[in-house]
Amino acid sequence: MIKVSVNGEVKELEENLNVSQMIDALEYKVKGFAVAVNTTFVPIAKYDQTIIKEGDTIDILAPVQGG
Amino acid sequence: MTKHIETNDTWQIGGKTLSSRLLIGSALYPSPANMEDAIRISGAQIVTVSLRRQAAGEGGGNPFWDIIKSLGIEVLPNTAGSHSAKEAITTAQMAREVFGTNWVKLEVIGDQYNLQPDPFETVKAAEVLIKEGFEVFPYTTDDLVVAKRLADVGCKIIMPWGSMIGSGKGLMNPDNLVAIRKQFPDLQLVVDAGIGKPSHAAQAMELGYDGVLLNSAIALAQDPVKMADAFRLAVEAGRLGYEAGVMKEREFASPSTPTVGTPFWHQFN
Repeated sequence: MIKVSVNGEVKELEENLNVSQMIDALEYKVKGFAVAVNTTFVPIAKYDQTIIKEGDTIDILAPVQGG
Repeated sequence: MTKHIETNDTWQIGGKTLSSRLLIGSALYPSPANMEDAIRISGAQIVTVSLRRQAAGEGGGNPFWDIIKSLGIEVLPNTAGSHSAKEAITTAQMAREVFGTNWVKLEVIGDQYNLQPDPFETVKAAEVLIKEGFEVFPYTTDDLVVAKRLADVGCKIIMPWGSMIGSGKGLMNPDNLVAIRKQFPDLQLVVDAGIGKPSHAAQAMELGYDGVLLNSAIALAQDPVKMADAFRLAVEAGRLGYEAGVMKEREFASPSTPTVGTPFWHQFN
């Protein structure tokens, strides 16, 4: 298992998960969000080839009100 | 007798042709329904939105985003909360994927006290985002040189502040806004932030600005829906006034009633 930060909270994940598998493991079921790993945007097309590593910082963002 | 001048006023911004020159935010409303009603009655065709961390789980979808989509108007995602070019660029890239638009309101804050935009990081981010195919709507101060730098890196739109975000103080430095307008007659200029009441919006439009962007002035009004209607009228009135050509100010009084043939009184020499 590895420890990562997801939206500011420490989570444990299995090793060598890609972003798609990470999303499933974290049970993000509502679509319409975007992912950044270590403050770098990961487009959907690169989910499967982006592997999550120990200590990664992951941000998962969704639409909210804005001015 | 004609009751109103038919202007059929349209403008182009970010590759779109629009008829409303009011850009409206979606935050701070008393309720989602109130937000929806206010946006609809404002006639705005551009609404600003943002991105924030989402909790895991099934939930009930995203009711906010469903309402915005149902309005059928353009969305302008912002990079609010960014304090560096890097953060703003990443947020813009994420917004492009989520909202399906290459428009971005570039907002890089440089000071927490007055939320003043960081001009250096804003220009840096704008240059990168334009190269990546974004239509950048940069929020900046009313500094002419910053506006020049933004134009130099390819911005077709510039959004100088009226005054501090959420302050409602109106146009702090109208002369600065006029200078920017005169220097960039071909760019789309929008006054963003600080608008507190409809007369502020009308003033910005009378200065020849192409549009105004505001949020708090409507959302925090006692009656946001009525205020949205007031802003719609103010923006239209200001634009009409600009097109009609405002009279030049004069240093001294000048009578509007003819003085020739004045009865009874002596005329001044």
